[in-house]
Amino acid sequence: MQSSPPPLRVGLIGAGSISQVHAPAWRSLGAEVSVHSLTGAEALARAHGLSPVSTLDELWDRVDVVDIVTPTHTHADLALAAIARGKHVVCEKPLARSTAAAHEVVSAARSAGVHLFPAHVVRYFPAYAQAHAAVAAGRVGRVAVCRFRRMSAAPTADWFFDEQRSGGIVLDQMIHDLDQAEWFAGPAVRVFAQSIARTDDGGARAASATVTLTHASGAVSQCYGVWGHPHLPFSSSFHIAGDRGVLSHDSARQDGTRVQVADPRSGGYLPPTDVASSPYTAEIVDFAAAITSGQPANVTGADGARAVLVAEAVLSSIHTGEPVEVPAPADARLAGDTEEAADAVPAPERTEEGR
Amino acid sequence: MKQLRVGLVSFAHTHATSYARYLSGAPGVDLVTTDVGEADPGTLRGAAFAESLGLRYVPDVAALLAERPDAVVVAAENADHRDLVEQAVAAGAHVLCEKPLATTDADADAMVHAAQEAGVLLMTAYPVRFSPEFAELVGRVREGQLGQILSVHGTNNGKMPLAERSWFTDPARSGGGALVDHVVHLADLLDELLGEPAAQVHAVTNRILRSDAGRDVETGAAVSVRYPSGVIAQLDSSWSLPDSAPTWGGLTLEVHGTAGSMRIDPFDAHVAGYDAEGALWESFGPDLDAAMIGEFLDAVRTGRRPQPDGETGARTLAIVTAAQRSAATGQVVPVH
Repeated sequence: MQSSPPPLRVGLIGAGSISQVHAPAWRSLGAEVSVHSLTGAEALARAHGLSPVSTLDELWDRVDVVDIVTPTHTHADLALAAIARGKHVVCEKPLARSTAAAHEVVSAARSAGVHLFPAHVVRYFPAYAQAHAAVAAGRVGRVAVCRFRRMSAAPTADWFFDEQRSGGIVLDQMIHDLDQAEWFAGPAVRVFAQSIARTDDGGARAASATVTLTHASGAVSQCYGVWGHPHLPFSSSFHIAGDRGVLSHDSARQDGTRVQVADPRSGGYLPPTDVASSPYTAEIVDFAAAITSGQPANVTGADGARAVLVAEAVLSSIHTGEPVEVPAPADARLAGDTEEAADAVPAPERTEEGR
Repeated sequence: MKQLRVGLVSFAHTHATSYARYLSGAPGVDLVTTDVGEADPGTLRGAAFAESLGLRYVPDVAALLAERPDAVVVAAENADHRDLVEQAVAAGAHVLCEKPLATTDADADAMVHAAQEAGVLLMTAYPVRFSPEFAELVGRVREGQLGQILSVHGTNNGKMPLAERSWFTDPARSGGGALVDHVVHLADLLDELLGEPAAQVHAVTNRILRSDAGRDVETGAAVSVRYPSGVIAQLDSSWSLPDSAPTWGGLTLEVHGTAGSMRIDPFDAHVAGYDAEGALWESFGPDLDAAMIGEFLDAVRTGRRPQPDGETGARTLAIVTAAQRSAATGQVVPVH
């Protein structure tokens, strides 16, 4: 182009696992990226050509977009602080630890007229995106029964297993598939869930949960999550059965490459990716395009809040042992694939309601 | 080898064909057959079915039992199992009964009791139990390779039985739809694998798949099971395979523990291809029906208890009936 727009100025908050895929994605777009983190900022900055900054105040001064990749319980406060300073926000899922906090963030972003993008990256995984397009085009007819599986070695950082901070496997891992279930089959009206956690003799923790969602459409979805033993490689799958056909995919059963080498990479908490074809890059590209062009992204703040709401209903079912009703997405602005969310005229009355 | 007279009662179930083929060629077995129940459209039954396989056929159950068979295989419609099994055990025959053992818990319990009273063996026909893949899974779990079990994910999906043997979709004859047809296989594998009866069940069903068929049964079924040790299971028993698929369906079971994981797909062994009409699926897995009947015949000859037995059939049916109650009420229900 003759006159390139100035590069995006991005502030990464956090330097954990996800930062290692978000940072190169931003850099691939030519963004200037600053990073602030309690630990690890220097190393991350060196690896990806970022500018480490030692305080949040320093970060606010340098950036237009904030990308929050911290532990879950800190998401909402950091997002609200960024929004208060007029920054666009990318926030790792879950958008917040609670539905109330998630709604507060969504309302604040709307009032401030800034973009808010919860990083529901599975919507950008090519198999899921392709299947969703095919289902939307009617290829399998009316959706009847969906299955979503997701598993990996259990994360090792303590906060993941602290339900107050992370929401456990449901809010951290299965929220991906709760979002997928509603993406494919529409709003859920009821959930039933069960979970188990065990610690082996060596002190290693593992957890698993199952969720049944009954959708307003009459469809039913099953989500299955495992934070397993250290040898369990990441994999995920889906199976969408409609009254005219079936679509399925299992990342563990792909045969695009076969490798025999001395030191095969295996296991780990994140799926292996490279920057150019990474769904994390596709996600960041989509968010960046929405910020610069004003076009809607494939996931909205309202979608992020809805996913937290469904996940909290799931936790409630686990705690009570009973099926739990899920409130209907009463306000389209809080539940649909809204195009207005980011660029809406600030609506003061919603601010009051939200706070 | 002890010579056995074996009666095959009814050709209603799909498996009657493979049972008849195996038994008619098994060494030391004198097979006699009869059929009961109403033939469904497009389904070869009765003397004509027997003739097509070269089977000796007698006109009714009384005539078959008058021959004093050592053992009887019941492959009737689900709702007829109790009556036929009770007649067979009253005649002193050991019985292998097609799955599900019955359509109600009361019937299943009565059948188990009747066999006990008569002093004969009762076995439930769960062929997947005899797959080498499942044997390997059980072996590894018992050896502790998976550590403590956390959860199990199971699928048993197939085509809705409509073109032939449509009694499977008539609740009065089958006892229900996709729940009763397919949950029992997974329930049996879990029964053997975990070694404890299920504690509680939740199920949601719907009728979106094949709603065009207009049958009064569920076609989609999502089941959750909890075991007393805390192990959780998620099962999909939907009739979700379209008629265009090149095979009948399949079953998968995946187990995750604190030290290891294992997934089995006992019906995966196949050669794939295409012909002018579409996809080809040529199975080459072992004959599970043969292995299962082999277990039954060996138990009859030696007098030992066959597995899975009648009690297993009753315990696993109880998961289905609990799922049916849960689907009807929306509640989590205890397993009887």
